Amino acid sequence: MTFPNPTVSGGASAAAAGAVNAGVTAPRGRGGRRRTRPSRVIFLLVTVGIPMVVYLGLVIWPFLQAVYYSLTDWGGFSNTMNFVGLSNYRYIFTDGIFPLAVRNNIILAILVPLITVILSFVLATMVTVGGSSTGAVRGLAGSSFYRIVSFFPYTIPAIVIGVIWAQIYDPSKGMLNGVLTHVPLIGKHFDSFAWLGEVKSAMPASIFVIIWGFVGFYMVLFVAAIKGIPAELYDAARIDGAGRLRTMWSVTLPMVRETVQTAYVYLGVVALDAFVYMAALNPTGGPNNSTLTMSQDLFKTAFAQDQFGKACAMGVVLAVVTLVFAALVFGVNKLISRREGV
Amino acid sequence: MTLNDSKVNRRTVMRTALAAGLALPVGGALASCAGGGSSGSKSSGGGSAAPSGSTSADNPFGFTDKSTVDAVIFNGGYGTDYVSFAGQVVMKKYPGSKVKVSPSTQISQQLQPRFVSGNPPDLVDDSGAQAIGVNTIAAQLEDLTPVLEANNYEGTKISDNLYPGVKEAGLVGDKMVVLNYVMTVYGLWYSESLFAANGWTPPKTWDDLLDLGAKAKAKGKYLFVWGQQAASYYQQLLMDSAIKQGGDEVRLGLENLEPKCWSNPTIQAVLAKLEEIVKKGYFKPGGAGTQFTQAQAQWSNDESGIMYASGSWIENEMKSQTKAGFKMTGIPEPVLDTSTSKMPYDALNAAPGEQYIVPSKGKDPNGGKELLRAMLSKEAATNFAKTKLAPTIVKGTVPTDGFGSTALQSQIKMLDAAGSHLFNVRFVSLYGTVQDQLVPWNSFLSGQLDAAGLTKALQQISDKVRNDPSVKKVKIS
Repeated sequence: MTFPNPTVSGGASAAAAGAVNAGVTAPRGRGGRRRTRPSRVIFLLVTVGIPMVVYLGLVIWPFLQAVYYSLTDWGGFSNTMNFVGLSNYRYIFTDGIFPLAVRNNIILAILVPLITVILSFVLATMVTVGGSSTGAVRGLAGSSFYRIVSFFPYTIPAIVIGVIWAQIYDPSKGMLNGVLTHVPLIGKHFDSFAWLGEVKSAMPASIFVIIWGFVGFYMVLFVAAIKGIPAELYDAARIDGAGRLRTMWSVTLPMVRETVQTAYVYLGVVALDAFVYMAALNPTGGPNNSTLTMSQDLFKTAFAQDQFGKACAMGVVLAVVTLVFAALVFGVNKLISRREGV
Repeated sequence: MTLNDSKVNRRTVMRTALAAGLALPVGGALASCAGGGSSGSKSSGGGSAAPSGSTSADNPFGFTDKSTVDAVIFNGGYGTDYVSFAGQVVMKKYPGSKVKVSPSTQISQQLQPRFVSGNPPDLVDDSGAQAIGVNTIAAQLEDLTPVLEANNYEGTKISDNLYPGVKEAGLVGDKMVVLNYVMTVYGLWYSESLFAANGWTPPKTWDDLLDLGAKAKAKGKYLFVWGQQAASYYQQLLMDSAIKQGGDEVRLGLENLEPKCWSNPTIQAVLAKLEEIVKKGYFKPGGAGTQFTQAQAQWSNDESGIMYASGSWIENEMKSQTKAGFKMTGIPEPVLDTSTSKMPYDALNAAPGEQYIVPSKGKDPNGGKELLRAMLSKEAATNFAKTKLAPTIVKGTVPTDGFGSTALQSQIKMLDAAGSHLFNVRFVSLYGTVQDQLVPWNSFLSGQLDAAGLTKALQQISDKVRNDPSVKKVKIS
């Protein structure tokens, strides 16, 4: 896109200045029902119109373009293309590689949010309400320390996380095998074991890295949500004889369900992309393409094979899968809340 | 402020937003995006905008003092300073002219919009992992034959000073659209000092390699190492060795994506040897999970592997991770049997590396050619060899001491021994198949896939390209 940005921003500031002037000089109370007053028009232009223009121009329009390109054989380096109907879609679903990538992404979209949310929720509970059962409701001793430490990975850029773990997983010199080979009895199995090079371990190892990077952040998110729950609820639950697990299940979880939903959608989107992690850990798609993601296949098809039409088709599929995922999460959440009558 | 009493109801908001939202972007956005423009017609006469002087033997492209050249150069292992150096040479010859060299590491992403809008640079070094597939843009590129026909700055015909095969390696159809500037030699690389210390001799055949593998194992070392992104180097080894053994028939089958080309008996015979090497555990295990630079360091620094199949960029690439006194040396790839092979053992896969293209729609394509002409002249070519420790396609720019590099010495020795027996395999880069091929190769080298499985997977990849009507094929002969 070469959207004329200078015009937009210039117009915005001019309009903003106009809005201020108009607001100051407009006589108060005169003709309150008149709809075409310039101040209001300008105000609406600034607050709604311009964002809308930007949104339409930079989000919706490229979307539509990608959909159109997905129906052509565009090679990417000229402005000529032929309309080929749905044959790109037929191609990517029969070429044997893209369906694998879809499968891998679905595995990621199921496991990454599930494990991350459970883990970070449990950790958040421990540092907020999991402490001593006498006195005020509080977390474990030293909980603020755990909170800070577990947040650390989130401050590292994803690509750095990928590079670090690629080194840790290195078969010959990696830290992981360096430790495991010294474990008695099982140590010999890990001599030169290629964590990222074996079908059975490449995906789990990659999932672990993604979760490692996100648990701290979502823990902090849940901590904030749990802190917003009135302490009386916990006191009441405790008086009623609820133990820690029961409190977690019946008090904390229902109260933070909206946060769980948000976390789930965000994590799902991360998992459906996962490009950065996978590109750092297994740029080739992993053994037998077992860690190849849709975005990696898309990138390869577009920039290594110059088939932008097919790449756009992959992009459209990725968008559809993401929307379906979000709809599923919202649907499930709605079902649960209806059943509980909340 | 008067916001209190201005009743902004939902309807006004929607109406204003719609009006603003529709009116503004349509004009701008419609014309601006990738395929939507009509720039094709405007730019078709791009070349004519440039100042063109009269041409002569000394100035074959009509370069003038007012010419400007816009070059976008891949900033990889060789950097871009050697092009700037050639630019200086041009500017010295034509005082007042300008040569602008812009480095890029993402050629495809950065130049895509410029190609689509009809405003590409005058010269592009289309290289690196994100190079543009030349096949896709061949119709938009200049024929570079006139550059080879021209005289260099010293006054001799450029093509007379080049290694053989330069033109062939740049052909798409019958148009030479690519000029590969750096002479890359594929071979087997080893440490001369390590071999001397152990009394090992460099292998010439696959049986020699198997023997060597056994000897290395006796010393607790592996014959080969590999890394996940570079498993394809062993595909190169397989193809080159089979081509040397079986001749052009093998090469053309692969290049033209023929059905069952991977089942060719010579390829299968070589593959059987490679499989034996894998089965005997002569590859350092774990390569499929090792970053390729790490794997290469296991050879050049730890010496836990004793040989590596690669191109001649390997010396420059591993410069900081090569053991002192390593004495990196290259030898030609092995054949099955030196007495029966169709090509001599000394034959080499040599050519690609740094593919230079001149887009026709640039402001001054002739300026791009002039810059190439300067790069192919002695002064700039010698500068390249000296500073990058790699030979260009221009012959006779490297002294016998190889500027003190054993790897460069061995490259020149290999090239001289090969004479005219140089060949090249192009389909992998033409159709961008390497990413797909890496997958079965990693499985094969780690022993999870046998030779038959590998053959089937590679054939599927070739078949897929052949059967895809949207991919333009390049007939190679």
